[in-house]
Amino acid sequence: MTNPPVITLKNFFERAREGTLTAVRCGKCGALAMPPKEFCPMCQQRDWTPVPLTGDGTIASYTVIRVAPARFLTEAPYAIAVVALREGVSLIGRIVDIPLDALAIGLPVRFRPITRDNQTTVGFGPA
Amino acid sequence: MMESDGEGGSYMRRVAVIGVGVTKFGKHERSSAELFAEAARDALADADIGPAAVQALYYGNVVGGETEKQLHMGPQAASVLGIPTIPTTRFETACASSHAAFRHAVMEIAAGVSDIVLVGGAERVLTVPTAESTEYFAYASDATWEQPLGLTFPGVFALVARAHMAKYGTTEEQMAAVAVKNHRHGALNPKAQFQKEITLEQVLTSAYVADPLKLYDCCPFTDGGAAIVLASEEIARRRPRAVWVLGSAAASDSMLMQEKKDLARVPTTERAAAVAYRQAGLGPADIDVAELHDCFTIAEIVATEGLGLFEPGTGGFAAEKGWTSLGGKLPVNPSGGLKSKGHPIGATGAAQIAEITTQLRGEAGPRQVEGARFGLTHTLGGNLATVLVSVFGRD
Repeated sequence: MTNPPVITLKNFFERAREGTLTAVRCGKCGALAMPPKEFCPMCQQRDWTPVPLTGDGTIASYTVIRVAPARFLTEAPYAIAVVALREGVSLIGRIVDIPLDALAIGLPVRFRPITRDNQTTVGFGPA
Repeated sequence: MMESDGEGGSYMRRVAVIGVGVTKFGKHERSSAELFAEAARDALADADIGPAAVQALYYGNVVGGETEKQLHMGPQAASVLGIPTIPTTRFETACASSHAAFRHAVMEIAAGVSDIVLVGGAERVLTVPTAESTEYFAYASDATWEQPLGLTFPGVFALVARAHMAKYGTTEEQMAAVAVKNHRHGALNPKAQFQKEITLEQVLTSAYVADPLKLYDCCPFTDGGAAIVLASEEIARRRPRAVWVLGSAAASDSMLMQEKKDLARVPTTERAAAVAYRQAGLGPADIDVAELHDCFTIAEIVATEGLGLFEPGTGGFAAEKGWTSLGGKLPVNPSGGLKSKGHPIGATGAAQIAEITTQLRGEAGPRQVEGARFGLTHTLGGNLATVLVSVFGRD
């Protein structure tokens, strides 16, 4: 018997497109993980339950990309931030609708999906 | 049997570097295999052995599939060198590739499988425009979570820099001091891509690439090759220029920047260093000279801290005070580092080992660290996700 994963990457981005971030919580030790994994890195058990997140967090670090990879040339400059979410996990995403010179570590932000060409990526906008 | 790396087991047999070779770093018109063959030719001559003595090749390359449309580079490199029948393996751990190859080659000799092994790597990236190479290098970040955002390699280290500045008060001037120092060293290295000094002003007024990192905080794109000849103790002990491998360790971590517990530290460096020091029976205070991974100026700062050479948060201060300069209390990157010598990613680890070997032999000329007895190399791959640390000594 093989157990299906509790949430696949495809599930994650389908839910993200609808506006909800999903992490998984370990039923043994309570650790939260995102993205999901087979084994809990903290206690090595495999007892995950998907849990929705609020999407609220603060900027842990950020940068403004000015020299972009070939496929993003026309979008530069753009900001990317690692956001510490309220629940205790972090997520990296594009900053949208916040002036580049207003960015700061500790700035409150809120998850906002970015869907383009049928692909959803993680974004963060004003809280 | 050797224990797992995490335990830092000791080697069954001692292993030494008996020959090194490095091409000029910069732009080349030859294939990466040709560049490696040139470095290997020089390494074999330096070791005073013929190609027929080589029993295996451990090879590093990263983006050859993209920039040269070439895979299966181990046999290709061995063929171009003229020894096509030896066993070969290509290693890819992003920018740490040839240092990973080195560690495995050391283990092959330590285990008694071979007595003489060739290690090295080569890279060609100046075949493509900057936007294209920037994209290929970004393949070393996560394809689901990071690449679709447009995260670049300078962007990864910019996230580290911003966190380090916030946590410890590190300044853009301190980062710039690393660039100025490494260019000063590189001006003394005839193999370096940039053999010219730069000023603090030039660094601070250069254009932002990924804030807070500017053009002169970043290493260049580079073509080049490097090779090392490794030998067992039985062969090496008859050679007075042999440099002993006292320890060689690898550590990994999650690739995802969002899973780093503290963006201002590099735990992979801390873990690999702890194992390598334990294998060598040495500590950071014993190290006389270090070649470490300064792909960006902040990378050198966090590497000096993770290796225990300076306290966490004080790496920028140490650079600004001149402690890491030639003539300072602990010279770092006398070769010019990735910043000035250049960073042909698949060759970088082997080139660092070549420099430390040259330093410990006392053959580094105007960039010699006087009396160096113990040296260290540190190479970082990808989003801080792979680190190799090796420790070397002379009798």
